[in-house]
Amino acid sequence: MTPPSVAERHPEVVTRGVPATRAGWIETATSADHKAVAKLWIGTSMTFLAVTAVLFALTRVQLIVPDSTILVPEVFNRILTATSVTAIVLFAVPFLIGLIGYIVPLQIGARSMALPRLNQLAYWLYAAGAFMIYASFLYTVPETVLTPLPPLSDDVFSPSNGVDAWVGGVGLATLGLVCFAINLVATLRNMRAPGLAWRRAPIFTWAARAIAYILLVAGPAMLAALTMLTIDRHFDGVFFDPGEDGEPLLFSHLSWIFFTGCHTILVVGAVAVISEIIPTFSRKPLFSHSAAAGSVVAIAFLGMLAWMQNMYAAPIPEGFAFLAMAAAVGLLVPVGLLFFNWTATMWGGSVAARAPLGLSLAAAIALGVGLGGQLMTSVIPVGLQLENTTAAQQDTIMVIVGFTLAVFAALHYWLPKISGRLVAEGPAKLASGLVLGGALIYAFAMFFAGLDGQPVDVFRYYEDNGLSTLNLIASIGAFFLAIGVLVELGNLAASYHGGRPVGHDPWGGSTLEWFALSPPPPHNFDAVPDVRSAEPLRDIREAIREREAAYVAPAPLERTAPPPPEPVPAAPPAAEPEAPAESKPPVQTNGDDSSIS
Amino acid sequence: MLGRALAVATLALVILAAPASAGIAPDAAHSPNAEDIRTSYWVMLIVAFAVGIPLIAGLLLAARRFRARSETDPEPRRLTAGRGVIGRAGAVLGAIAVAIFVFGVVMTGDAREAEADESAESLDIDVIGQQWLWRFEYPDSQSETIATVFSYNELVVPVDATVNLSIDSTDIVHRWFIPELGGQVEAVPGEVVETSFRADEEGVYEGQSNQFSGTGYPAMRAWVRVVSQEEYDQYLSDLTENLATAQEEVAQAAEDAEAEAAAGEVAE
Repeated sequence: MTPPSVAERHPEVVTRGVPATRAGWIETATSADHKAVAKLWIGTSMTFLAVTAVLFALTRVQLIVPDSTILVPEVFNRILTATSVTAIVLFAVPFLIGLIGYIVPLQIGARSMALPRLNQLAYWLYAAGAFMIYASFLYTVPETVLTPLPPLSDDVFSPSNGVDAWVGGVGLATLGLVCFAINLVATLRNMRAPGLAWRRAPIFTWAARAIAYILLVAGPAMLAALTMLTIDRHFDGVFFDPGEDGEPLLFSHLSWIFFTGCHTILVVGAVAVISEIIPTFSRKPLFSHSAAAGSVVAIAFLGMLAWMQNMYAAPIPEGFAFLAMAAAVGLLVPVGLLFFNWTATMWGGSVAARAPLGLSLAAAIALGVGLGGQLMTSVIPVGLQLENTTAAQQDTIMVIVGFTLAVFAALHYWLPKISGRLVAEGPAKLASGLVLGGALIYAFAMFFAGLDGQPVDVFRYYEDNGLSTLNLIASIGAFFLAIGVLVELGNLAASYHGGRPVGHDPWGGSTLEWFALSPPPPHNFDAVPDVRSAEPLRDIREAIREREAAYVAPAPLERTAPPPPEPVPAAPPAAEPEAPAESKPPVQTNGDDSSIS
Repeated sequence: MLGRALAVATLALVILAAPASAGIAPDAAHSPNAEDIRTSYWVMLIVAFAVGIPLIAGLLLAARRFRARSETDPEPRRLTAGRGVIGRAGAVLGAIAVAIFVFGVVMTGDAREAEADESAESLDIDVIGQQWLWRFEYPDSQSETIATVFSYNELVVPVDATVNLSIDSTDIVHRWFIPELGGQVEAVPGEVVETSFRADEEGVYEGQSNQFSGTGYPAMRAWVRVVSQEEYDQYLSDLTENLATAQEEVAQAAEDAEAEAAAGEVAE
């Protein structure tokens, strides 16, 4: 890697063995720096967010009127399949991976990730998977919606190679996610700054740890399912063939473990971002740091355990259904505690009404609505009525919308660290209104349509179903939602290079990432402070303030000797008070004091 | 300010337009198990709102009330969790969660099947899902020529009789769901799942598979027509007769075709 101090044009120090600077994109694509890799993750996943928004709007165009023939069924089903897989596997989880990959090493005061090459491999596996899924547009797109449930997806009912592309693409992407999770566990175990015990770790770092373990459970389950499906499809396997005593239910279990894991990851990621932003913008510490960390872990554990809440109608033993219900209902405790914690954090604070905070609150509302709906559906009798209808589907979509708003909040909060520039707040206000308003309109209309029995994934509904008005309203809401997402994406893209430059710590953050320069140099930190609380930067600020207050200028030196024999013209004052150089904190800084003042 | 008020008002209006056009509950139940599902739905709707609204409202209230007046406000007091505050909040939420769980377990008992009623007649029907229709097989054929009496997409049953359904699939996974007569049941190939209902009123109840099954998926609708016992008997005998006629016609046509083929051979 070229050291940043080597001047490009007029080198004053000529060295041998320093590689020539390559084109920017080659540098980015081949760099093992965790920040460069994370930028690739974030950029790619944001592209897929735009794709998701457009595809989602397209599916709603079809459903504006009953008996619609705008799209033929095959095309609609393909779009539907692409929408769900893009939203979850190509946008949501990878975005969070990118954010974690950038921020967490900085938050724990590490200079990189533990295994930089594995980090690169993880991204390129994901990119290859994304390419494979989208390359299927060149031949046959699968028509299997979110999970290709056998026997629908086996070689008899889906003979086309679309399912194979799906299997390969999702498999590669999942493999990438698992590689990243391994790397993350290694990093978090070994590379925390001195003194950064887990009880002092930021909530986002706690969430990263929880997410890593979820991926280590959910990812291999999906890989197993996909492998068995491939064997069934191409090598005469009978894992899922009911005619040969195979068990389609096995695939349901495995794929729901994965997708429930993804759903849990979204919730954990979103609440962690909100838990980082609210204290910073209230200028107070979290009301209870340990309770917030515990809630994040509890959400991860219970959410993962509740995978069978999607299978109440399937032939599973009643005891399993009760277990799933217990876990799903139990989620109320950590989620409720987090809301309580956030409220108590702002209570008595000095709340700055900036874009990250506004977006966080919008995200919290969307998450609250979505998780409240899921609380209803998780009770078995209600689930039997609402499962697989749009009433239950809108809960999931509200959670994804909440996550998306948290994504925007996170980018407003951390983009000044990534690019050194502030994201414009005006368009963000408009976008958050459009996204949240549109999503609520969509969700309420679809909830009531689901009560009337509108199934998920249909390409048409009938005039005599009485669902026409509700679907019209839902489509309008969905369009607002999609437009809002695109507006905010445009805003982020424009601000990345064109935003107002800001200092290293524009928000007065209290975790270690704000100790680094913006953007951080390749090695992140020249020195890392000893961490003595959950808010190391606040401690440093306090130490500076205390020393400044305690500083007593030494008394001017008194002349004790008689005046010198020769007359001295204009002698400088003998004792100027020394500049307060000693008032530095007990750490070495990056040579730029503005990052800690 | 005016713009924001207008936006909120529009949002509220549109959101309220939805329930106004559809009602805020599933269609009325017409079977005891569906009745239990409705009860659970209402209780959970109220619980979800009772828990969710204070949590969200508290958040928004705090954000509004403690908004900073200027950039130079003094640093606020560092209030963190006192002893037991989190514990008490957690205990309240935990108690609610346990109550919901117990309620769910109790209500599940009668939600999957119509509770037994000795006085009611009972009837066993095989429901078989396949791409993209439902086949119903009635019990006890009275006819000698017809082994199984069956119909497609429309099931006719007598009122006030316990109808035991054995749900199966011949190809891929479907879902049996008639909202007014009970919850959903997956139709998994190779596995027979039992459920039941007892309709309390004559009429036609409509439903549709809600497990994605390929191109013809939305067409996989089903109607349950509930009629009086006499009408049911009449329907069954008509159905049997029609099937017998159809079978004869098919046999006749096959015979004719064979004869024609034979004649053709002779002519050659």
